[in-house]
Amino acid sequence: MEDLARKTIDHAVKAGARFADLRMESSTGTNIVVMDGKTKTVTAQIEAGCGVRAFIGGAWGFAVTNELSPGSLKTAAESAVKMAKVAQAKAKIKFDIKAGKSVVKTDEYPCREKPTEIPVEEKLKFVLSKDKAMRARDKRIVSTNARYDDFEGVRVVANSFGTAVTTKETWTLGACSAWAKSDGVMQRGHASVGNVGGHELMSTADAVGLGEEAAEMAIRLLDSKPVPAGKFTCILDQKMTGLMAHEAFGHACEADAILAGASVLEGRVGEVVASEEVSLIDDPTVESTFGYFKYDWEGVKASKHMLIDKGVLKGFMHNIETSSRMGSTPNGSSRAQAFNSPPIIRMSNTYIGGGSWKKDELIEELKDGLLIQGAQYGYVEPAKGQFMFKCDEAYAVKNGEVGERYRDASLSGVILEVLKNVRGVANDFILGDPGYCGKGGQSARTTDGGPHICISDVVVGGLA
Amino acid sequence: MMAELISIAGKAVKSVTKFGATHCDVLVTNTRTLSADIEKGSVKQASMANDPGVAIRAFRNGSSGFAYCTGHDAKSIDRAASLAASQAKAGTPDSDFKGLPEKATPAKVGGLFEPKVADLGSDDVVGMVMELAAIAGDDKRIYSSNASVNISVCEVALANSNGVEMTQKMSSHDMVAESVAKDGSDMFSGFDFYSSRRFNADALREVGESARDHAIKGLSQTKIETGDYPVVMDPLALGFLLANAVGAGVNADSVQRKRSYLAGKLGEKVGASLFSVTDDPTIEWAVGSTAFDGEGTPARKKAVIDKGKLSSYLYDSYTAGKDSVQSTGNASRGGSAWSYRSPPSISISNLVVHEGRSTFDQMVRETKNGVYLRATFDHPNLATGEFSGLMMESYKIDDGELGPSIRQATIGVGLVDMFNSIDMVGKGHKDCFGVRTPAIRISKARIGGSA
Repeated sequence: MEDLARKTIDHAVKAGARFADLRMESSTGTNIVVMDGKTKTVTAQIEAGCGVRAFIGGAWGFAVTNELSPGSLKTAAESAVKMAKVAQAKAKIKFDIKAGKSVVKTDEYPCREKPTEIPVEEKLKFVLSKDKAMRARDKRIVSTNARYDDFEGVRVVANSFGTAVTTKETWTLGACSAWAKSDGVMQRGHASVGNVGGHELMSTADAVGLGEEAAEMAIRLLDSKPVPAGKFTCILDQKMTGLMAHEAFGHACEADAILAGASVLEGRVGEVVASEEVSLIDDPTVESTFGYFKYDWEGVKASKHMLIDKGVLKGFMHNIETSSRMGSTPNGSSRAQAFNSPPIIRMSNTYIGGGSWKKDELIEELKDGLLIQGAQYGYVEPAKGQFMFKCDEAYAVKNGEVGERYRDASLSGVILEVLKNVRGVANDFILGDPGYCGKGGQSARTTDGGPHICISDVVVGGLA
Repeated sequence: MMAELISIAGKAVKSVTKFGATHCDVLVTNTRTLSADIEKGSVKQASMANDPGVAIRAFRNGSSGFAYCTGHDAKSIDRAASLAASQAKAGTPDSDFKGLPEKATPAKVGGLFEPKVADLGSDDVVGMVMELAAIAGDDKRIYSSNASVNISVCEVALANSNGVEMTQKMSSHDMVAESVAKDGSDMFSGFDFYSSRRFNADALREVGESARDHAIKGLSQTKIETGDYPVVMDPLALGFLLANAVGAGVNADSVQRKRSYLAGKLGEKVGASLFSVTDDPTIEWAVGSTAFDGEGTPARKKAVIDKGKLSSYLYDSYTAGKDSVQSTGNASRGGSAWSYRSPPSISISNLVVHEGRSTFDQMVRETKNGVYLRATFDHPNLATGEFSGLMMESYKIDDGELGPSIRQATIGVGLVDMFNSIDMVGKGHKDCFGVRTPAIRISKARIGGSA
């Protein structure tokens, strides 16, 4: 594949590309879904293809082929250059890609049990056991959904600087959802584990207990009420802190949003944007996480990004283009969902660093407010400066005591205000659940995390 | 080309059967896409992709296995056929599987493919996106305009072990624009989009002007106190909400598994009498239109909510067999362009909210103290039928006048309460997220505010 990749880059340069790169991939994967004790789908994927990008004077061309033959790759390279020429002819903003060092490396994610060497029957046995565990947990569990995903592939990233990085990537994910019903009330619980690595990850304690965890959450939520709407001081658990770090601030720190004029953080590097207790980091190099990678999808070595240091905005996540245009260096933040999508700037493992408070001290100090636990999903519009994230469960805190349980609270905030309203950061840091982040129609595996934190003036959406 | 695709599908059906499947279906697709993107007013990227692929679904004792491969080469297809059959063998037997659709004639649906879309080249697409961004940025208060235009042509051939052999060609033309307005340190963005199977040059102006005007309108901001308010819902917000609240709520699979708040409510009143919804895959040029569904069931229109009463769930062949009813033809392989990368699943085609008589201005004028919600991207809890989310773009209504945009506010409402509280339904419609809907007004929702 490396040889084909180099020849394809040569074709693009000969055809007129000022800079060219590609992602060539060959992969297989499995997806198993079991619902209510029966297999719903058992899926095998076979993917192969290449996406070629060509750059000319301020614009990109991108072309995709599903065929890894020399002829198809040459055609894709020429098409990418043709598209770049069409775009460049009309581009108003002209810029160049700063010459970079070539990186020639091979990396293989740690993997003890390759998914391709595990019979599908064994994978299915794992999923069926999770489904059974949910249904066995309580007779109020009325429906179940257990899922398993694995991916094993080889990706070659090559560019006209001479870069040729081969990554052998393996990851696995298990997830459970349980629906519980009692007295006409229906609730859903969920749990997931995911990491880079092979099938051995499905033997970890977290994976083994997935079914019970999802079922227990569904049962617990049966005894919950709709959350009251309004403005509250909230303590977020580690998962919600992570989701907030990702949605409330992470996306606004992606340099492509800055160049698009679509982030409220433009021009604010060096400014105080958060309480002094807050440091925000994105770090793809944390091993044994779902957001891990060693080289990004432009072949740049990944590194830890300090986005906010003790309340001060320090910088952004960059790719080759944004670093060229903003006088920075690429810091390994470029990712593509697959060969058929152009790489864009993405987060990896995003978290708020630990502080000095104990969780109990935060609750005592809070007096009246909400304790928010478990993350469902969130989204942000960096140009509007607003974000939202939804939790699994919330608890009333009155006079420093945790009380009544609520469900389905949505929390909203304003990017430039929320982190300034942090009143305390606890010392119980953990990285949370694996997840997928969506941007520009592409999905990327990520992890979020942090400690418990206390924030004032959070607007909570609810029915009560 | 179609003859070639159906020939590949037919051969693959034979291959899967040879590997031991008792039933199977094969989808062969070939999709060509051209797109162009503008970043901050300047052309940033032009892209093209050819994406051929094959999806194979095999059944054995009711157990389903699925495999797909990129490209159309015989060796990969044979491998996928073998994998699909072996995956089916590995799964659990399922007596609820009653079989795949029998041979039938696809519905006659006009407006699936427009040759003009197929004739567009990269220069045309770049020209369109430039025009779109120029309109979206045409005001001195606009700091940045970002835009995309995308065209695709998708050819599909579907065959199954019952002798079904169907083909169709679909086109699509999509565009989205985002304008960012700035006034000192205040910033707001407006967006809009268009999606159709037909090329529409006029849409560039409508989408660009809407993005620009909403960005400017949003610069003027206010806060709102927590409380109950009437809410005028724009098709943009309503389409996103109903695609999930109704579209996913009437999914027969969720209903049969008792995961939906609409389970057991067939024939019951779930909304006001002026709230009627149909699922209609036969609408000319709509992006969800198709002559047959992803399993080969001919497309047909069906009522989902009739004057407030829940009248049908949406079925594929499996769930229909389980309930001993006919499939409604809602096994989906994707929207505007079909995908080979996942098995068919139940989905809306074009969900249509029936129009009423009120104009948007009337709805606002007859709202004394309320909210106009233009955009939210939150999902309801389908198990509980409750919805709470961010009002991403919303405006205050004071004494029948549209006011400033509301900063940092949330909305919460029970879905059945919301449908029952619809007291005005608008004229006209917009296609948003698979839902063709007018604006509506609901008499009450809980708004969480920061004032």
